[in-house]
Amino acid sequence: MRCMHITSGLLSIVGAAFLFGTVHALMIEPINIERVATRTDGEVTGGQGRRGETPPSDPVDAGTPDPADAAPDTPATDEPVGAESPVEIEVPDEVLDAPVPEGTLTLRQSYELWEDGAYFIDARHEHEFEEGHIQYAAWLASSLFDTDSDRAFAIAQSMPPESTVVIYCVGGECDASHNTARRLEQIGFTDLRIMGVGYTDWVDAGFPTGEGSAP
Amino acid sequence: MSTRSNPQTGMLESILLQLPLRVFLGGVFVFAAYNKIPAIQSFAEAIKGFQLLNADTHPELIVIGAFVIPWFELLAGLMLIIGLRARSAAMGIGLLLALFIYALLHVIFTDVSADCSCFGDENFICGSTVGWCQVIRNIVFLIPAGYLMWRGPGRVSLDQVFGKPEQITYNPQNASQSVDA
Repeated sequence: MRCMHITSGLLSIVGAAFLFGTVHALMIEPINIERVATRTDGEVTGGQGRRGETPPSDPVDAGTPDPADAAPDTPATDEPVGAESPVEIEVPDEVLDAPVPEGTLTLRQSYELWEDGAYFIDARHEHEFEEGHIQYAAWLASSLFDTDSDRAFAIAQSMPPESTVVIYCVGGECDASHNTARRLEQIGFTDLRIMGVGYTDWVDAGFPTGEGSAP
Repeated sequence: MSTRSNPQTGMLESILLQLPLRVFLGGVFVFAAYNKIPAIQSFAEAIKGFQLLNADTHPELIVIGAFVIPWFELLAGLMLIIGLRARSAAMGIGLLLALFIYALLHVIFTDVSADCSCFGDENFICGSTVGWCQVIRNIVFLIPAGYLMWRGPGRVSLDQVFGKPEQITYNPQNASQSVDA
């Protein structure tokens, strides 16, 4: 008898949760979890308003931030690290061209886009971004659109919608890049790329990084 | 029977143990729901990130889960706090915790990089990235859930006020038998 009563109570809670969830679903915009179509070539499009229209002459020398990077995608506290000596980076081809998930960029393609001045978006957690990120990257996690939409849209609007935007997270099977890409696609961005490798791969290759708080 | 008690001990247990456990466990789940309900899209993305369900073949299950789970957490948490159908609420929370533990273990053993999003964008005890900390935390939460299922919400609860059949009532005859035993 008691067991029946507990079970019926449990089913009542489940039913009520379905009811509230249904009403909730009807009251907000439909949620979307499909993957966006991203490009995988290493060529920058959207010639206007690229990040750092004057790309760093020597990306290895990350100690000299690009003056053109006064845009909001470069936090004032973004201090380049890991590039004390301007030595030529030599990364083995097997690392640069390591296999990546379909529809994503290899490390080589990502670096070429970085050199060409594409916008880079860090989709990891904010504290991870603050600890270190790809130089000139901006932080824009998908969840920011829910928790602080004004800030999220301000960051998104600092980039022209037609510009090339490369999004990265921790790499591997992480979904954060895809989630941010979906949000950006919804607000009109047309050239979104996903890094198939993660931030640690970028660091391991010795490519320029920065640290500091998100804008 | 171990579930019988005299009025004084029952009231003491209710105030010192059952009520705090109900408020704590219910509060944790209300807090989790509070952070998830305004950010359903993020929570759906988090469920997808666990890769427990194939998002290509069953996206509707992920969407349903994203809408139902937070509301279930909120309702079960509130019911546990006020002590209304508290055993059912504790059972629901226990089952949900078991599901979460299974999902966390799936992520850990398949080497998937996923965000817990257990409390939306907030963290509680553990960090945001799925790891053993979340598993242990949920196992610890199972203890009060199991205890409340076993002992009920106690005397300071709406179940006591409304006299639900699931609430154990004091019976002097049984109590004396219990003492004798």
